[in-house]
Amino acid sequence: MAVRVNPELIDDLQHFGAKDAVKCYQCGNCSAACSHSDDPYVFPRKSMRYLQMGLEKPLRSALDPWLCYYCGKCSEQCPRGAEPGETMMGVRRWLTSEYDFTGISRLLYRSWSSELMAILVVAALTGVGFLSYGYLGGGGKLSVYDGPGAFLPPHAIHVFDWTMGIILALLLSINCIRMWHFTMRNEHATPVRPALYVRYLLLLPVHFFTQKRFRHCENKTPWTNHLILMLSYLTMLTLIMVFLKQMQEGPQVNWYAHTFGYLSAMGLVGTTIFAIHGRIKKDAAYHRHSHESDWMFLGLLLFVSVTGIVQHILHRAGLPMAANITYVVHLMGVVPMLALEVPFSKWSHLAYRPLAIYFAQLQQAAQAEGALPFGGPAEAHPAA
Amino acid sequence: MKSTTETTIAKGQAQTTRIGVFLLRVNGTTPPGVDYAMLAEYAAKLPGVKTVRTIAVSAAMEPEKLATDIRKAKLNTIVLAAEHPGFYKPAFARALALAGGDGGQVRLASFAERGDGGGAGRAREVLTSAVRGTPNAPAVAPSPSAFNTATLVIGGGVAGIQAALEIAESGHKVYLVERTGTIGGRMAMFDKTFPTLDCAACILTPKMVAVSQNPNIELLVLSEVQEVSGNIGQFTVKVLKHATRVDAAACVACGDCARYCPVTTASEFDMGIATRKGIFIPFPQAVPNTYMIDPAYCNWVQSDGKKCGACAKKCSKGAIHLDAKDETVEFAVGNIIVATGYDALDAHRVERYGYGTYPNVLNSLEFERLTNASGPTGGKIVMKSKKLNKKTKQEEWVFAPDGEKPKAVAIIHCVGSRDKNYNSYCSRVCCMYSLKFAHLVREKLPEAKCYEYYIDMRAFGKGYEEFHERIREEGVYLVRGRTATVAERDGQLYIHGEDTLDEHLITLPVDMVLLSVGLQPSQGTAELAEKLCIPRDDDGWFRELNYNSEPNSTMRQGIYVAGVCQGPKDIPDTVAQASAAAAHALRSIVGATAHATAAQQKTVEIAGTPARP
Repeated sequence: MAVRVNPELIDDLQHFGAKDAVKCYQCGNCSAACSHSDDPYVFPRKSMRYLQMGLEKPLRSALDPWLCYYCGKCSEQCPRGAEPGETMMGVRRWLTSEYDFTGISRLLYRSWSSELMAILVVAALTGVGFLSYGYLGGGGKLSVYDGPGAFLPPHAIHVFDWTMGIILALLLSINCIRMWHFTMRNEHATPVRPALYVRYLLLLPVHFFTQKRFRHCENKTPWTNHLILMLSYLTMLTLIMVFLKQMQEGPQVNWYAHTFGYLSAMGLVGTTIFAIHGRIKKDAAYHRHSHESDWMFLGLLLFVSVTGIVQHILHRAGLPMAANITYVVHLMGVVPMLALEVPFSKWSHLAYRPLAIYFAQLQQAAQAEGALPFGGPAEAHPAA
Repeated sequence: MKSTTETTIAKGQAQTTRIGVFLLRVNGTTPPGVDYAMLAEYAAKLPGVKTVRTIAVSAAMEPEKLATDIRKAKLNTIVLAAEHPGFYKPAFARALALAGGDGGQVRLASFAERGDGGGAGRAREVLTSAVRGTPNAPAVAPSPSAFNTATLVIGGGVAGIQAALEIAESGHKVYLVERTGTIGGRMAMFDKTFPTLDCAACILTPKMVAVSQNPNIELLVLSEVQEVSGNIGQFTVKVLKHATRVDAAACVACGDCARYCPVTTASEFDMGIATRKGIFIPFPQAVPNTYMIDPAYCNWVQSDGKKCGACAKKCSKGAIHLDAKDETVEFAVGNIIVATGYDALDAHRVERYGYGTYPNVLNSLEFERLTNASGPTGGKIVMKSKKLNKKTKQEEWVFAPDGEKPKAVAIIHCVGSRDKNYNSYCSRVCCMYSLKFAHLVREKLPEAKCYEYYIDMRAFGKGYEEFHERIREEGVYLVRGRTATVAERDGQLYIHGEDTLDEHLITLPVDMVLLSVGLQPSQGTAELAEKLCIPRDDDGWFRELNYNSEPNSTMRQGIYVAGVCQGPKDIPDTVAQASAAAAHALRSIVGATAHATAAQQKTVEIAGTPARP
């Protein structure tokens, strides 16, 4: 079948951060240097090739980009300065926007001003919304932080966060289904029996919580940081979604709940500052290039973590009004971060990565089942 | 009102020429007979000149700093004035380009080449011509009777040999200066040449012998050019001649001295894979065919004459004079041909290939020596074997003729070439010599498998593509992909890379890895460029006057380049360029002598100025 070529693909990808792919001369050093690259998923050279040739469809159906964790070894050794690691990062951003059916992701990634505007608009709506609720539907008094008559009572926040959670989960699920459709239902992919889907289902939680593939990178620091950040984030999310009442109680410290809060706050702030510092200093290949969306993500994360900590401290310090104001400001960071990043941007990779590992395993299992009875080779990589 | 005028001027500036005159102070000195203060005053009045500055320059100039000054003064043309401003042109051209200008708008006012003997008036004329951009005939050529017909050739490789022979055989004197103990250069190390697979020595040694027998050639080995002054027709050259400590006329190269010499060290000619003594001859066909003493490895020299001296005692000809001293010789020449060649890239720098760690990872010149019949194994391709060093009582990996034959050999192309981490240029010869290596492996070891890892196969020359086809047919496996790593597990080497045509990763067990390292300017090129006041390009090679039309000439009249020192090239191109450089030198010599016989001194006319005698 003829292959459809999109000559503008490589230009398009420039907006997603894959700026140097055009320099690649296809020597394959990157693929051989990578500790994740292995048959049948040999990367990143092949993705570079797709980009240069404008092979949009194979690139969209590729799982390779999600199997790369950007340790930067390929970029360090690249003889051309084609930055294969950053190219893979750019392709992941592009894939996120391809999976997203709304087109919002594409808009946010391609234009930093749109992303900034979106953040500001959502933040403003959030601020106005919560202040109105506080005065009209909530406690009404900005000077009451917890207990009866609280300005923003936990039960009301729960209604809001669960509603938002369900909406975001729905959006992300649709995008995940699109990812499955692109990667598992294209003409080159091997059909997979439903039973296989069940057999390997455990891979999803395992890789989600441990990120153990990341550990195979030669440099272990990024994996440790990433794991701490992710676990801190999940802990905090659980505390807020389930134990908000206990978190908000005070002014004394509830050690059984707050211990977890303190630990995850430390984890969030520490890893975020580490990442920001690394990106400013450009201390490693994976920190050499920063897309605008990286800065906004890190900025929001740090803002949310710090305001969260400050409101907690203010409350314990007996300043409920200041605590309430900081609380609203904190929410003005949390809502845009979740609403924009979870289905449309950076946070979505928490879902796409384990899914990609799962799908890759399914493909390999299906190919092994379908291998020729005379010991012939299994079909090559589906995306090829 | 005033502001309007200023705006008009500012707008007009985009089109007008804004010239900056830089009077260069090289090593803190100004050109003899030129008064910079007076010249600056004069230059400031010339049309278009916006700034005149006297600045100190050095070989390591920072174009970024210059660019800031140029941008501040809004200059779009630069005039460099000095004895030999050409050496600093690249730095200023880059600075001008960085400042947003056209890097081509750097003009030279060379007092040495265009104004010699004219005094202050002539210096003003030279500068005026440069500022106006009008051609200024070189006034430097001495009167034909004073034109020295001798030529200095720096470097005794195949390029230097060829150029020296061309000139000497047309009846003119040549000084051939060579840093090592023999002429022959890199080509003398080779076993075969591509694509003809001729024996390199069979082509080169007759030429080497011709050099030694030509009465017009004065050969100075173990010698280095220290100082060059003067101009075309009248260069004065100072050469440091290291003492060989062996009388070349008396030595018959019997080798008795070396037999009794107690000191052993690695042989430079054999790239360290064989040994030599403290008194040695680089290789049996060396020219001059005499032994020499390496003072760093001579007990007598190191102990100030207190120890050893065995060689002098044993020499039946009495040719060894251990107390001989280095000397400086000075002579005059009319032309200089630079043919200093290249060094192989240090493969240690590419750490992931394990050169220096794994004994059987060799660089290309080491393999040339290994496969050469005059090499340590008599041309047998074997692996290194562990041998006990009786002196140090330690086991060492050495090549021995009875070593084990490799069953699989991998050749890795582009080591340190086409790589922005090392040299970003293509070294041009590696593809072809790698194919030659593959042929030699398959020819000498038909049982062995041979894999070539290439990125792009550059078979660009006459007969090269056919050679490539031939090697393919000889059963060599050509893998398109760069090797990422060479590793050793349980004494077995493995190379790991992607076959980019098949899109699979392959890890191959091999017994020997040959690294096709790239070429880089030979050690000392930068210093020589400074001594000769000729610029180099960004990659370190000598810069030719014009890439297309004057690939042999440099910025200085009477100084020519030949061979790899101007840029990587193969043997045929090197020889052709050497002959061309000789033609340049001969042209000026013949021109001078023809004039002399006509007994008519020509005056040099300069546009807009009266003719001078």
